[in-house]
Amino acid sequence: MPDSLSAALATLRSRYGPQALRRGGSTEEPGAWSTAVPVIDGVLTPGGLPRGRITLLAAAGRGPSGRLTLLQSLVALASRSHDTGYVDLAGSIDPGFLADLGADLDACLVISPGPARWERGLVMARSLVTAGMPWVGVALGWEQPRPSLWEHALAALTEAVAKRGAVCVIATPFPAALPLRHASSLTLTCAPAGWQRANGDVSALRVQLTTSKSKLGAPGATATVLLRYPRPYAIAEVLGLPSVIVPRVQPVIVPGLDEAAVAARG
Amino acid sequence: MRVLCARHPHLGLIAALRRYPELREEPVILGGAPELRLPVVAASAAALAAGVRVGQPLRQAQQSCPAAVFVPLDPAGVGTLRAAVCAELHRLSPTVEGGDEESFGDLSGRHAEFPDEASWASALARGLRGVLDTEIAVGVAGSRFVARLAARASRPGRIRRVRSGEEAAFLAPLPLEVLPIDPAVTARLAAFGLDCLGAVAGLGPADLQRQFGPDGIRLHRLARGEDSAGILPAPAQRTWSERLVLDGATGDLEILLRGARECAMTLGGRLTAEALAAGEVSVAFELEEMELISTSGVPPAPAGNAGALWTAALGLLGLLQPPAPVAAVRVSVTRLAPAAGRQADLLRPGDGAREAVVATAERLRSRFGAATVRRPRLALDPGDLPERRFTWEVPVVAGFR
Repeated sequence: MPDSLSAALATLRSRYGPQALRRGGSTEEPGAWSTAVPVIDGVLTPGGLPRGRITLLAAAGRGPSGRLTLLQSLVALASRSHDTGYVDLAGSIDPGFLADLGADLDACLVISPGPARWERGLVMARSLVTAGMPWVGVALGWEQPRPSLWEHALAALTEAVAKRGAVCVIATPFPAALPLRHASSLTLTCAPAGWQRANGDVSALRVQLTTSKSKLGAPGATATVLLRYPRPYAIAEVLGLPSVIVPRVQPVIVPGLDEAAVAARG
Repeated sequence: MRVLCARHPHLGLIAALRRYPELREEPVILGGAPELRLPVVAASAAALAAGVRVGQPLRQAQQSCPAAVFVPLDPAGVGTLRAAVCAELHRLSPTVEGGDEESFGDLSGRHAEFPDEASWASALARGLRGVLDTEIAVGVAGSRFVARLAARASRPGRIRRVRSGEEAAFLAPLPLEVLPIDPAVTARLAAFGLDCLGAVAGLGPADLQRQFGPDGIRLHRLARGEDSAGILPAPAQRTWSERLVLDGATGDLEILLRGARECAMTLGGRLTAEALAAGEVSVAFELEEMELISTSGVPPAPAGNAGALWTAALGLLGLLQPPAPVAAVRVSVTRLAPAAGRQADLLRPGDGAREAVVATAERLRSRFGAATVRRPRLALDPGDLPERRFTWEVPVVAGFR
């Protein structure tokens, strides 16, 4: 490296700080916020939700996906150690449910910009992040305004989150809008894997999470969690389900035995 | 500690003479009409020379000085004058106290602009003389009591300084009547043959306590000039404002925002430099050919820097809708108080930003509506209805409001 270039780099570092210049290959690993569910942390490359990035909880299809319950459980967890903001654009917030999930309501700030006011909600989230709110969840509703109305606010939110190193999780219904998919560094697709019933009632929802996009690691990892609803004498919680790979049993065809016999042998 | 005491005519009398300047040379008695059964609050020099005494009934004062003019006390005028006195003292002293006839300022330490205490006290006296338009008698001493007596011993336009260690010698020849204690105690001291403060100071504290109980200790300290009473700070007397005249009246919101921001930044810098925080912020638009419009509000936490002040001012700007082009923007701060530090919760990351978050929430509420940013709280008695399980509250920093 020429001396003049080294001197220029040293000048820039001394003037704008050592973080101003970095070599291309030395990208720093962002900090991670642990979800306290080892199964989820295990599929996330930083070991949790990335700080300073947008995380998207996207529904895999129409109908219930568990993304809002998962988001609220994450908010509840975060509120035990941080001030937390919940931007309710879906109009579905129930502080009682947050309390059932173990949230510290004193640390929860609920922002209700109004139905389908995505731009306003994202602007408010950006303001709070800029002010120092370390954890923000945004629940988007089914009614999607035109992206041109809110993508600028989303870009500003992304910038503020990156600048303050905050955790920002956005739950979006199916299909996820293109600006959201572009802005997110981590997209977890939530697909329902079946209801869990107890005594003739729905007690929980099994959800399969897939990292469909990750700028921080290889996508494609999956995990299954159980979103347990509050019931009498049972708390609401998120449980990781063991990912046991059960090999599919291939029927073995033995010459001389008919198909019924093969089926009987299992 | 060094305390400055400035003795001046009663502020009510000064206000009355400003209102009726033609009475300056006349005997004036402050307190109301003579037929009212009220005491004399203050009297001009001519009235005092005629035998009028403060505290005597107005009817009696009329008999002493039949030519006197009786004026009522104007509380608003007194308040304005007191605020002006405190503001002038605050200009050079960090802690001040304003009274009707005496004002106090803290002269502890050193002031960068003045080489010694005497020049500092002179500057304060000159400032007060400019505000009240009358000569001030000033006393400087190591305690409030001694400074007050030094001011009484001084003359208008003069400063009487009692150096540290000389308090007892200064007090020794003074009569017992100057002690701010129960007259019955003074009478008992006189019965013992003690006729001056020096005689009382010569007694031991144990002897005085045996005779007078807990008051004996205080009596001993007062007589030796060792009282610990300091200055009772005057709350919220200062108002700082920053005004920006625009290049031509305009209704452009961007220009108004920039103007208000510039004012807020300048004021915030002053607050930071003086280590003060504003308890109330107001924003005003001076309109072209119309009366100015203004609004004020109390920030969630006292604003002590440019960022906090701008956040508070921005929240107020949404309330102002100028009906005509704006010629000038003004941002003011009042209820100034020393910017106290706050102990952050050690185990809650991001707690230091809580004030900023709450201030932002307050601004968002004022901009988008009161129901947009709220904090949930579980209801104590939820009853049977699910919607009664929780209530909504306004986010406020604990310890403020």
